Amino acid sequence: MRVAFVGKGGAGKSAIAGTFARLLARRGQPVLAIDSDPLPGMAFSLGLDRDDAPLPDEAIEDRPEDEEGPRYRLRAGLSAAEAIDRYAATAPDGVRFLQFGKIRTDPRALFRSQIAFRQIIHELPEDRWHLVGDLPGGTRQAFTGWGGYADTYLVVVEPMAKSLLSARRLARLASSADRPVRVLAVANKVTEPGDVELIARRSGLEVVASVPLEPAFADAERSGRAPLDVVPDSVAVGAVSLLLERLDHQQLKGATT
Amino acid sequence: MDFSNKMVVADLEAGVGTLTRLGDAGVDLVLIVVEPTPKSVEVGCRAADLVADKSLGRAVVVASRIRNEDDLVMITKAFPDHQVVPIPDDPAIVAADRHGVAPLDSAPDAPAVLALARLADDLVAFTS
Repeated sequence: MRVAFVGKGGAGKSAIAGTFARLLARRGQPVLAIDSDPLPGMAFSLGLDRDDAPLPDEAIEDRPEDEEGPRYRLRAGLSAAEAIDRYAATAPDGVRFLQFGKIRTDPRALFRSQIAFRQIIHELPEDRWHLVGDLPGGTRQAFTGWGGYADTYLVVVEPMAKSLLSARRLARLASSADRPVRVLAVANKVTEPGDVELIARRSGLEVVASVPLEPAFADAERSGRAPLDVVPDSVAVGAVSLLLERLDHQQLKGATT
Repeated sequence: MDFSNKMVVADLEAGVGTLTRLGDAGVDLVLIVVEPTPKSVEVGCRAADLVADKSLGRAVVVASRIRNEDDLVMITKAFPDHQVVPIPDDPAIVAADRHGVAPLDSAPDAPAVLALARLADDLVAFTS
């Protein structure tokens, strides 16, 4: 399974992605969670304390001048898989967690780590891990290849005007990607009976899961802890579990190119 | 453009990316909108650091979606050197978002809207 969660900022991507990754890992599957958001997010939702962990300098070197490509690269001899083994954090339930760090003051401080991160996700071995990605809010990364490892984009959508607009734009991922992908919607913070239908109609996407607005789940977010640890029996966690089952059983056709 | 005698209100992209690129032309005020969650507070602190490092102007923290005293304390503790303006968690704002309308049009008397109106008045007085 290779999925990437996208959507408008604040839609709930990180909470759902983190919960999804851990539920998948609890099935005994090797899972790599990929966080390409320069803002804090997925680490908390996975249950990690430390949020900001760029790839270290020892993993990265300047690219030789006679070699084409970005200015930096993984150190010679260090494969993408080895880099993950060595530098990705281990979250609860054994989820491996890869990020390039978080912006503090000068974004240039992250260039080396960011370029190495992109090399890693570009060169990931096909079948070693299930991949669960969490992209930043908005459309920029999604349309510039940051989720290229995914065969399924899950657009997290709130029944809110701006979130619906973002989802409609993100639906175009199905036709813009380099290779076939399916794009599906996850309805989040659902409160009214017509919300799922509204999201399907306005986004043009098949809604694969409906996660209710649940105060206990939101409180977990507010406390900076993983919903799966705080409210494992909540309806919202149950909805994420159902999403996993549906994807796992390949019951969906989705939007594909 | 000549902005003299005009108010310019800019809504920057989420996060601190735009702030890192903001030149030293300066602004009068940076309003840092923070929710009472660790993620949001973390980003807000980084924004406040940037405003200070780059001498961009005065920073005021707008504490949004405040439900109770604990929420406000969480934010005031994180920003001990800043003015923190609480805006209550208000279903009227959620309803306006849901329908894609301006809260000021749909619920001008809602508590959150009134709190924002007071903030606007204070800021106008500050910048005038």
